[in-house]
Amino acid sequence: MATAPNDEKQSAPKEVLLRVDSLSKIYDGAVKAVDDVSLTVNRGEIFGLLGGSGCGKSTLLRMLAGFETPTKGKIFLEGQDITNLPPHQRPINMMFQSYALFPHLSVWENIAFGLKRDGMPKDEIAERVDKMLSLVQLGKYPKRKPHQLSGGQQQRVALARSLAKRPKLLLLDEPLGALDKKLRETTQLELVNIIEEVGVTCVLVTHDQEEAMTMASRIAVMSEGYFLQVGFPEEVYEIPNSRQVADFIGNVNMFEGVIDEDEPDHVTVNCEDCIQYVGHGISCSPGQLVSVAIRPEKILLSQTKPDDKYNWVEGEIIEIVYFGANSTYHLKLTSGKVIKVQEINTTRELTCWRTWGAKAYAHWNDMAMIVLTQ
Amino acid sequence: MSQVSNRVFAKSWMIGVYAFLYLPIITLIFFSFNDSRLVTVWSHASLRWYGALVNDSDLISAVLLSLEIAFLSALMSVFFGTFSAFALHRYTRFKGRTLLSSMASTPLVMPDVIVGLSLLLMLVSIQHWLGFPQRGLFTILLGHALLGTAYANVVVTSRLREMDIRLEEAAMDLGCKPFQVFKLVTFPLLIPALVSAFLLTFTLSFDDVVLSSFLSGPGYSTMPMVIFSRARLGLNPTINAVATVTIVVVSAAVIASSLYQSHQERKRKREMALAYSNKNS
Repeated sequence: MATAPNDEKQSAPKEVLLRVDSLSKIYDGAVKAVDDVSLTVNRGEIFGLLGGSGCGKSTLLRMLAGFETPTKGKIFLEGQDITNLPPHQRPINMMFQSYALFPHLSVWENIAFGLKRDGMPKDEIAERVDKMLSLVQLGKYPKRKPHQLSGGQQQRVALARSLAKRPKLLLLDEPLGALDKKLRETTQLELVNIIEEVGVTCVLVTHDQEEAMTMASRIAVMSEGYFLQVGFPEEVYEIPNSRQVADFIGNVNMFEGVIDEDEPDHVTVNCEDCIQYVGHGISCSPGQLVSVAIRPEKILLSQTKPDDKYNWVEGEIIEIVYFGANSTYHLKLTSGKVIKVQEINTTRELTCWRTWGAKAYAHWNDMAMIVLTQ
Repeated sequence: MSQVSNRVFAKSWMIGVYAFLYLPIITLIFFSFNDSRLVTVWSHASLRWYGALVNDSDLISAVLLSLEIAFLSALMSVFFGTFSAFALHRYTRFKGRTLLSSMASTPLVMPDVIVGLSLLLMLVSIQHWLGFPQRGLFTILLGHALLGTAYANVVVTSRLREMDIRLEEAAMDLGCKPFQVFKLVTFPLLIPALVSAFLLTFTLSFDDVVLSSFLSGPGYSTMPMVIFSRARLGLNPTINAVATVTIVVVSAAVIASSLYQSHQERKRKREMALAYSNKNS
């Protein structure tokens, strides 16, 4: 799921646009919505805040916009302390969840709304609004009211409105949450393209990991008010730093076990169902309790017993979840543990040996797993 | 079979309810065209009492006074009700908010007699100390505005509650100062609620007899007060005529507004359907 723009961002000189210093928001003296969060966002980056509901991502975004006052900590934009600036004085604009378009104003007036507040001359406003309309391909509908537009069109008006003032930072609150799945995929790319064309720096809040993966250049995984991990999408997915992150991003099979051999070039872990041979060294000590995490798509199913000492288990297929492009098989191991295996449906055969109740072997190579110590 | 009997039952039930609601009014309209001086005995049709109404200057001036009071008190009610609703709804964290918000709606449940009596006592003692205000138009207005504010507060609060707070945040985000948010976003979106609050408080005031009786002074009789006092002396068919005129005006207003609303609603639905049918453009 790596996106090409990533590589550009990595090579471009980094200039910090937004810096958040140990920001906290505590409600009623006890509930920690955001707990001592620090982060930096570079110019031109799309930074994703990913987490379940109530993890504090929205509160953090609202503090950046100025709708909530932090209990502790500071926010700097281009080095300037904006912690105590009211929302209307911040050079930050937000695209709201379910858009919050003004229902009594036309598309044109919605986009011009922020420009008029700045006292921009009329002809400049007209020029800017027209440019925005063509940017989001809505040049045909300047006079329509929001209710006369489809969901996708409303989304584009919301984007145009939030970009019209040329903010230094754009906040996106679940930007695609209100669209259906098919439309979401095309809109995702469209949105990223427009954002990159304009070159605006973004902070994106979402609970949808696919949305975060495809759109963001860096992701912070949030839970209970703090960051579990911050990294590129590939990092967060392939090298999660904890069980919680591995579990939250995508599907994962967890094997609990004890470190047996601990060598510089490999490690073995004794699990209940098998012995895991990890093809690289990790920092641990023999006898230590660890979790070995393996993604379902990195496991292969076979009918014959693998010719290997390590990294395979035997079980019975108890559930098949068919997605069309791929299928997920639930394999019940002899210990009673159930693991998930995902395979791509490469043929059009309707019948195959992988059926309910079939005996199957699942195996994986020695680089497929992540050993998690916390 | 049972479906048919069900339908018959439902229909007759409906007819019963509507008859209960509207038969008295129809009777009143019918007898307003009666020539006889006796209210309940039909002689023959005539417009005699409408003629009498035009010449009944007492009744006409009472109607005009009622309209004036209703209009002014509705304005005051909507004004104060909107601001109290706004304060109670938007500023959620101040001491005593719960107490204040329940106090704002007590006039709704308090018997009018008690509200009227307590207002009268207060006004009499104020007048005793300050020589002001004289009981009359102003005191009736005060009473009606007090009651109306409570009603307007309820109407506006419910609209504010269902309004998306994000609209106001979006306005702030786009550079509005707090007052501009109210002027450019909240107020325009509140207009339908303000109109219905106005109509409701107007009707309440136009209809009120209890508060007016307590608070009026010599020379200030509202229409309901006149009707009430005449009814005590024996019914006069002029009352039927004035009532009929009122009914006609009110129903015309109600029918027009509901036709307008359903037209708007249909138009909106059609436009929304249209927006989704050619979304690929």
